Order: sequence, then structure tokens, then C-alpha cells
Amino acid sequence: MVAPARLSRRTLLAASGGAALALTAAGCGGGSGGNGFAQASGDKVPDEYAKRTRVVVWHAYSGNPGTALAELAKRFNESQSDVYVEAQFQGSYDETAQKVTAAVQARKIPDLVTFSEVNWHNFYLNDLLEPLDGYFGSGLKRSAYNQKLLSEGVLKDKLWWLPLARSTPIFYYNKTLFHKAGLPDRGPASWDEWYGWAKQIKGLKVKGKQVKMEAYQKIDGDWQFQGSVWQWGGAYSNGLNVAIDQDPAVAAGEWQRKLIFQDKLAYMADSPSVDFQNQLIATLVTSTGGLQSMTEAAKQGKWEVGTAFVPKKEQQVVPTGGGGFGMLAYSPKDRKQAAWKFVEFCGKPANSAYWTLTTGYLPVIDAAVDEPDLKKRLADDPNFSTAVKQLDIVRKEDEVRLMVPNANILIYTGLQKIWTNNTPAKQVFADVAGQLKKATDKVRKNIEKHV
Amino acid sequence: MTTSTVDSPARRPSRGGRVVRYVLLVVLACVVLGPIYWLVTSALKPTADIYTYPPTWLPNPLHLRWANFADAWHAAPFGRFFLNSLIVTAIGTAGEMLCATLCAYAFAFLRFPFKKVLFGILLGAMMVPGHVTLLPNYLTISDLGWINTYQGLIFPGLGSVFATFLLRQHMLTLPGEVLDAAKVDGAGHLRTMFRVVLPLSRPMLITAGVITLVAKWNDFIWPLIVTNSTNMRTVPIGLLFLKTQEGYNNWGAIMAATVLVIVPVLVVFFFAQRQIVAGLTQGATKG
Repeated sequence: MVAPARLSRRTLLAASGGAALALTAAGCGGGSGGNGFAQASGDKVPDEYAKRTRVVVWHAYSGNPGTALAELAKRFNESQSDVYVEAQFQGSYDETAQKVTAAVQARKIPDLVTFSEVNWHNFYLNDLLEPLDGYFGSGLKRSAYNQKLLSEGVLKDKLWWLPLARSTPIFYYNKTLFHKAGLPDRGPASWDEWYGWAKQIKGLKVKGKQVKMEAYQKIDGDWQFQGSVWQWGGAYSNGLNVAIDQDPAVAAGEWQRKLIFQDKLAYMADSPSVDFQNQLIATLVTSTGGLQSMTEAAKQGKWEVGTAFVPKKEQQVVPTGGGGFGMLAYSPKDRKQAAWKFVEFCGKPANSAYWTLTTGYLPVIDAAVDEPDLKKRLADDPNFSTAVKQLDIVRKEDEVRLMVPNANILIYTGLQKIWTNNTPAKQVFADVAGQLKKATDKVRKNIEKHV
Repeated sequence: MTTSTVDSPARRPSRGGRVVRYVLLVVLACVVLGPIYWLVTSALKPTADIYTYPPTWLPNPLHLRWANFADAWHAAPFGRFFLNSLIVTAIGTAGEMLCATLCAYAFAFLRFPFKKVLFGILLGAMMVPGHVTLLPNYLTISDLGWINTYQGLIFPGLGSVFATFLLRQHMLTLPGEVLDAAKVDGAGHLRTMFRVVLPLSRPMLITAGVITLVAKWNDFIWPLIVTNSTNMRTVPIGLLFLKTQEGYNNWGAIMAATVLVIVPVLVVFFFAQRQIVAGLTQGATKG
């Protein structure tokens, strides 16, 4: 029996907030009536911008991405005279989503929010997002976006979520260790080739410790594993029909269990990235967003990072992740139109290129790759261009993981049993499937109405 | 006067037993101080040294990286964060202690109907998890227009069951003779409270005050929920600005910022520790 995810204050807040959202939606019947909700509080608007329409953007970016978004807001404010954008950092994607929940309850909302690929569905299912189709025009064309990424924000033929900070899993490898093991300087074409290479890694040591081939992420490892399930020809779900207990997913789980307990070439880690940076593992499948940190750590450790497409088994395919813009429907019309101007600004090729260069996220505007600085970076740094090329094989995540609350937690706690307890995948996934089916049935009616 | 029994040599605690106790204390101290040691030494290491395996326990004296502190200070507006935390903690602690003191005095010394029932309700409130009241508090503060303000940060924390209970229990232990003497001299409640009860409660007041202060300084969830803009953030949330979800984390700067956050609390504890020990001891023996 899979233990229910440990209740934490964030989980409970999210759960109670979710219920509150449903009540809010019911209570706000009448669509476009009224003047919309008040605006979330912030700092005093600078005097030179006092006459402009104020737009509040809540985002989940700290560090370099946070700096980059603040810079884009600053440039936007300086580039025109009608709108003032205030970008406010609200914590992680989950924390930001919880704050939006509370803000909707209080009827004092931001105008634009960055949601993760999972979180925006909760707001969509509660009728809180604005459809964006009518806003495209001469300023920003729909066709400007990478269509695969854009289509992930489409439900019921309408666009609700625009890509901004997108990433995919990618295959990282330690070129230096590969060289020592006599392996070629490239990614493996398939997992079977990778397995053959893994045997050649045996015997290699770094600082007296046996190098392993791979590590699995303890928390949120279900994101990468979804890619594994697809590569093996399966899925977490087909539509809302749970499929994780079917053979391809089970085979993917058994593959990893064998690597850990029989071949002793892999293990579960709190932070596989740090282990990779310490050369404890020779390869790793994790987010493209981590490339900068891998490169920096490798430079300091005096070894070299390589990247490649994630290998294939039956199929070669990877999921996407990351964040994008959603607009709140209950913002007044003038604020929504003003918010769209900032979206347009971020969608200019030069600004999209700036964002990609500063953060490492994928270029979501096709023309961005032709901007001089980004073009040069892609040419000079093959690692940086791997993720862009891999966009050809990305796929939208399975519906159950995206729309069923806590589905990701149920799956990764199940994976932990495989990776640490040596529990057979068939048994674990049968339990997880049962849990997922129950969770899905609770929200099935609302999802089917909205999808 | 009871005649004391002469200790026979066999009943003196053995030297071996004392050694064992010291060893256990040293082990416990290592367990408690280990993470703090790692924090402080990491704050002085280049990031590459923090990541390395096997761990480097001693920072290289020739390469202490004090720049981590400057990096941290400039990566986000920490001066502003510290000011906000100082304001919220100082006013919040003073306000909470005022409410707790008045409430404790009432429960200890006043007679009024349903006193026991009300005290039971007060204790019951202690059982309610903080996050259950998070959303109602947010809605209330929002209706008052206090989101992203100092008053929004401070007011929900003013009612404290813990400090009230602690002080009330202590006040019940005060000698009745002293209070009776004050009453005979014609002292009313205000004078009794300020001239008799509070001076006698000084260690416990300081203990409760420090506990309250530390809780407010470290508070994370409520400041995260109730503030929106960077200018109103407190230091625990400020640490979030240094850590990214996917990219490169400058752990040296993160550790340095964390050291900056805990130093004020350690300083306060250092100056108040004699009173705290006295307060806890007193409470323990007379409770």
C-alpha cells in the first residue's frame, strides 16, 4: 500500500485553496459582469509612471531568471508610455499558485502569473484563466511561437497558457570519464547501447569511490520517469485512463530496479545534479535548466560536460516542463489589455533571446535563434544547442499527471519504493494505479467538462 | 535541622560514571553543533569546495572567501530585508507580550464568570494548527487593505496562547502573601501588576519574550503569503531570492546569508541566557 503523501502545511493550504477556488468560481457566476477584481498590492508606483495603467505580474523566478524578468519589465516600462509593469516574485511555482488561490479568495489579484505546466490546469479547471486567442494581432502573432510548446497551453481549442520558461530533460554525460573508460564522445543512440557502456564504466574511480552510471531523483523524479515510460512505449495515462500499471511502464520500472540492485550501476539520490557535479555518476537525465550549473561545476572540477538527446528504447521522446504566462480572467478588461502588451514585449525575438541567454530556458519564439547573441552562443556551445534541437521530439505530459491533484506525488513516492526497497515495479504500479484511479474519479466530471 | 548522613566511600559517584556522562555530553554537543559548524565554514568556502566529495571539513585558511558575504548582501536587497524583519519583530514581540501579559494577569488574578471555560477555549486554540487559520487571516487582512504592509505582517501574530499560558502558570506560583500585602496597602490592579507581579516575573517575561522574538524573526509562511513586493520582504523570504529552482546555486552566498540571518538571534540569546535559564528552571521546579 502506498502511504498517502505526508500532509504538510503547503499541501493542506493547496487543498483548502483548491476547494476555495471552486466556491469562488460558483460565487462569481455571470461571466463578464461587473468591473473585475481589485489589483494585488505592491510598491508605490514611481511618480514618472503614475498616469499609466499598472499591471502586476506574479512570478516564480529567483536568481538569474528573476533578474532577467525584472530587467525585461524595466525595459518594457522604458519602451512605451501607457503601461507600468510591476514584477513580483512569490516563491516557487507551488507557492505562487497558493498565493494566487488566496488572492482570488480575497478578490485582489495579479493580472499575469507564471504557472508551471501542472499548476495552470488547476486554475483553468476552476474557470479562472482568460482565453488568449483574441489578443494576438500585429504586435504578436500566434505563429511566432514554437508550435509544439504553444499547443501545450491549448484546451478545448482555446489558448490559456503561453510558454516562457520551458525546459526538457536532457542527457548529460561526463566526457572526461567517458574518455577514461574508452567510450566515444557522444550520447548513446539507445538505452541498450547505454547499458553496454555502463558496464565499461565499472572499475572507474573518482576520489576512491566507484563511479556509477546514473542516479534517480528522490523528489519529483516522476517527471523524468514519465519520459522513461514513453521511451518504453507506455504512458502514465491515455486521456484519463490510468496506464502506469500496464506492461511498458512496468518494464521501465524493472529496468531501473535491475540497474540498482542487480547491476549496481545506479541509485536514488537527493540531488543527482550534485552527484554528477562531483563525478559520482557518469550520466544523468535532468532538466535543461541545469546546464549552466553543470558547466560551471565541471569547469571548477576540471572535467568536461557533454549533452545529447535522451536515448531511445521503443521510442525517442521527452516531456516538457517549466513555466509560462497565464492571465486571470477576473482582471478588468483594461488591465488585461495592458498585461498583454508586456506579453507582446516578451515575445519579441530580441527579448526572447535575451531571456534564453540569461536563464538557460528554451527559446520559445522561433525567430529568437536568429538573434546575433543567441545565434553565436548556439554556434559556439554545442551543449547549449542540444536542447533546442531536441525540441523536435518533445511531447505534452500525460493528462493524469497534469490535471489530477497530487498525481505527481503518488507516482514519485511509488518510485521511491522501487529505488530503495527493491519492490517489484508491477506491485508498486498496481498500487499507484489504484490511487490514481480514485483521485481521477474525484475530479473526472470537471475535467471532462473542460477538456 | 536534619542530621546529614556521612557519605560512605562506596556511595560516591564513581569517576568512571562521570567520564561516561561527559562523553555523552560531548557527543550530543557534536550532533547539535555539527550543522552549525558546516554552515559557518561553508560560508567561508569557495563554492567548488562546498560541493566536493569527500567533504572538506576545514576551510583553507589561505583561501577564506569573505566575498560570499558581500555576494549575498548584494544579490538581493538584504539591508531592506533586515530593516523589515527588525520592525516586524520588534513591534510584533512588544505587542504580543503586552497582550499575553494582560491576558495572563486576568486569568491568574481576576474573578469573572466562566473563567475556566474561557481558559479551556484558550488552550483549545493552541491545538489549532497555524495553517488552518492562514487563509481566513489572509482574507481578513486583505479586507482591511493591509496586504503588503507592516500592520498586515504584525497584527495576526499578536494573539499568542503559548506566551499567555506560560506567564499565567508562572503568575499562579507567586506568593499570595506579597499580593495580599499589596492589597492591604491599597494597590489596585494596575499598580499590583506593574510594581509587584511584573518585577517578580522578569525571568519568565524574558524567556517568553525571547521565544516569541525568535519565532517572529524566523517566520516564513505568513510573511510569504501577506507580502507581494520585494520591498516588504523579511529576511527568511530574502533567502529565497538566492536559490533558484533549476539553475546554478551559489551555495557560498546562500550559506553566508543564512549566517547573517541567525546571528541576531544568537546575540539576543547570548545576552538573555541567564534570565532564560532562570525562567525555565523556576517554571520547572514550581510548575
